[in-house]
Amino acid sequence: MNSKTLMYILKRILLAILTVWVVITVTFFVTRIIPGGPFLSEKAVTPAAQAAMEAKYGLDKPVFEQYITYLKDVLHLEFGPSLKQRGRDVIDIISTGLKVSAKLGVIAAACAAVVGIVLGSVAALRRNKIIDKVIMVITTAFVSMPSFIMGSLLLTLFAVKLAILPANGTTASGLILPVITLALYPAAYITRLTRSSMLDVLGQDYIRTARAKGVAGYRIIFGHALKNSLIPVLTYLGPMLAYIVTGSLVVEKIFAVPGIGRDFVNSITNRDYPLVMGTTIVLATLIVVMNLITDILYKVVDPRINLE
Amino acid sequence: MKKFVALVLALTMSVSMFACGSKDTTGDTADNGSATTENNGSTATTADGSVLSVCLASEPDTIDPALNSTVDGATMVVHLFSGLATWEQAEDGTLQIVADAAEELVEGVPNEDGTVTYTYTLRDGLTWSDGEPVTADDFVFAWNRAASVDLAADYGYMFEVVDGYDEIWETDADGNFVNPDAKLNVQAPDEKTIVVTLANAVSYWNELLAFPTYYPVREDVVANEAWATDPSTYVSNGPYTLTGWEHNSVITLTKNEHYVDADLITMPQIDFYLSDDNNNMLTNFENGSWQLIDDVPTNEIANLQATYPDEYFVTGQLGTYYVCWNINEDILPEGSGLTGAEAENAKAEIRNAISLLFDRNYIVESVAQGGQKPASSFVAMGVTNPDGTEFYETAGGNDYPGYYDVSPEAYESNFASAIETLKKYYDFDESTQQFTNFPALTYLYNTGDSHKAIGEYLASALSGVGITLNLENQEWNTFLNTRKDGGYSIARNGWLADYNDPISFLDMWTSGSGNNDVQYGKGDHASVAGYSLDLTPYGIDYKAENATWAETYDVLISNIKSCTDNEVRYEMMHLAEDMLMETGCIVPLYFYTDIYMLDSSVKGFYSNPLGYKYFMYCTIEG
Repeated sequence: MNSKTLMYILKRILLAILTVWVVITVTFFVTRIIPGGPFLSEKAVTPAAQAAMEAKYGLDKPVFEQYITYLKDVLHLEFGPSLKQRGRDVIDIISTGLKVSAKLGVIAAACAAVVGIVLGSVAALRRNKIIDKVIMVITTAFVSMPSFIMGSLLLTLFAVKLAILPANGTTASGLILPVITLALYPAAYITRLTRSSMLDVLGQDYIRTARAKGVAGYRIIFGHALKNSLIPVLTYLGPMLAYIVTGSLVVEKIFAVPGIGRDFVNSITNRDYPLVMGTTIVLATLIVVMNLITDILYKVVDPRINLE
Repeated sequence: MKKFVALVLALTMSVSMFACGSKDTTGDTADNGSATTENNGSTATTADGSVLSVCLASEPDTIDPALNSTVDGATMVVHLFSGLATWEQAEDGTLQIVADAAEELVEGVPNEDGTVTYTYTLRDGLTWSDGEPVTADDFVFAWNRAASVDLAADYGYMFEVVDGYDEIWETDADGNFVNPDAKLNVQAPDEKTIVVTLANAVSYWNELLAFPTYYPVREDVVANEAWATDPSTYVSNGPYTLTGWEHNSVITLTKNEHYVDADLITMPQIDFYLSDDNNNMLTNFENGSWQLIDDVPTNEIANLQATYPDEYFVTGQLGTYYVCWNINEDILPEGSGLTGAEAENAKAEIRNAISLLFDRNYIVESVAQGGQKPASSFVAMGVTNPDGTEFYETAGGNDYPGYYDVSPEAYESNFASAIETLKKYYDFDESTQQFTNFPALTYLYNTGDSHKAIGEYLASALSGVGITLNLENQEWNTFLNTRKDGGYSIARNGWLADYNDPISFLDMWTSGSGNNDVQYGKGDHASVAGYSLDLTPYGIDYKAENATWAETYDVLISNIKSCTDNEVRYEMMHLAEDMLMETGCIVPLYFYTDIYMLDSSVKGFYSNPLGYKYFMYCTIEG
């Protein structure tokens, strides 16, 4: 790795930190601006009780002072206590939810990548044959079908009609349906991406040269074609992660998966400021880091790519 | 060659699919560390009838008895703790409040200063789930903690009837608490005796004793602020102990063998699944995984009633779904020339007339569809008079229950009389049967399908007579804020009582109350001198005419609160509701019901009027 690449990576990391800081700042002030508050409920507490609670959690101080205090805490990785789930720390709530969400997300992403690349390659190699057409029709259907419809369909079929899989994602076998729901769209997308890029690569001169030199067919595919046709797929990894993070909010709800999605949505409804901040920071960092890794991976896969 | 490549690819694919599957299964043991909570559905857990799987709602914010403010949290707490009193189902099926940790529920002894003292003796053999004995000091500590400024619990005000509460919460002009060392007037002269003094006689005192906020906790246990979030630190004194809590997933309660009445408890384990998605709940009920679900999708109600006639249940709840007007909203036609009390009386007449334009039977049958009961008074069905009759049936002093006749036959005549009333103020076009100069109104509701459907009905009912009602929805927390601050003209509202006493519906409308969404006695209405109150028939020397809301309604409520004669007290509460309903600002639509699905194999289940569900005496048959 040369110094130019190192400089690039360093620059990207600084940019990533800046991005997260902007997210923290915007989220912090926006949550304070939106109407309502953490101690508001259908049955109003007395002003004295509300004031007592605000004092307890430091919400009686000027907003900017709260912001500075919060930034200092975040630097020490302290996210504070939840205002609603009393007795629980934000970090504890997030780590509990994130473990489940991460498991769901990673399995879904891995399944999507493997299935997508394999099906895409098959379709490209069998271009215009019946298997290609079948794959293309199915993937077109999956790409255009929103996850909440797919989730409900799978739920009705496997959990109600056939009753072979549980409807709630609280157990391990309960994760099968959410994983499938979450993976179908990216899998279909990767299939189409791999197919077109594989077809493109197979038409290149160097493939023809390899063939002319008598290189074995499987070596052409795995040694030359596949590697190069995966670059567009790599570019999709960032957006795919974003899709899986946002898509899991819906999927977690449909299948009652105890992931971070529910905490994220509810924290906003509840105006649980520390939890809103905590989940936002974690999700933003995740997406920023994944985009960073994707960019660096480009360079590894194709050294010709100019990072500047 | 091509065939070979295809074969290799196909093989890779199947291996990858298998790998995905096996990742799932290996995750099984890793993610379910707590052995008691592993549960793969109905077959594994209910075959021997030893585990009841239920789903009430999503994860409760807390299951600390003092901090909890939700019905689902309270249901868990009543299984985990034992207070001085509890709700029990008698053999004839009726519900009653009986002594639990106390030997008996005693009568209060009036003191000279009007306060009332109760002395309770704890039963023998009461222990905490860690084996320590339950003492009277635990109750004294728990009550003072729940009422304290430090805890600032949502339901801390449930102790306002206890002598000393007002001193705890007394503030000076700057909002500082003036008595930091104040305590409730409750003592434990010995390990078994609790002496508590109430500011005045309270007819629903036994009900309060059965309320979770009144349950005991132990000082050394709650010293750890996170005690109620983890089974290892959760110490309770009731029929069950907390043995598993997978956040957002399932809470497991296991029978407490040290519980004094353990031999009466028939259900060994209860799994409370945590979900707020009613479609998901229904799926799990239909495939047999869960035996009780506390919510169903509204659009499935008709279907469920037909499909599960023996498993679909509707019970009454102490609550009213209503529409409230902002009392300061000007709805008079331009150039009416009315001001002050005259304008207010005219507005009250208009609002009451509009209230009659809504067909409540249509709302409950075709829109809400949950077996609700059309309402024409604010204090809900289920709240009773001292003689046990329904408060709402004696409200309004008419030959029908409530303030207007909501029977289906009466709708047409109600409608006609409303139109006649409105004609006095607005121009009516006889050819189109529409009002032409009624100012446009906006109906504010919180985002939700059922609230929206009701809003759409209200708008269509009014548009039929030429009144425009625009619909505006807001996200829950924003909505609460807007409604509380009076930033609306008409809004959706609802109220569920915490105990069976009309005052829980009436004291919220005093001018200083935080729940006074109508804005009675606030803003312009503070100076409207259009109300009268005569308390002399009740033996109280107070009479006010053409007075403000604060001089009448607020005074009436404070007299009700300090009244010791129950009969007089209920008469004054009827009077208070009369005053509220005369303003027309509260438009009751229906009395709430609680809908749940219960598997027919489950026997011995009951729920109380507050919606708490009791599973401890359940058995699963078949």
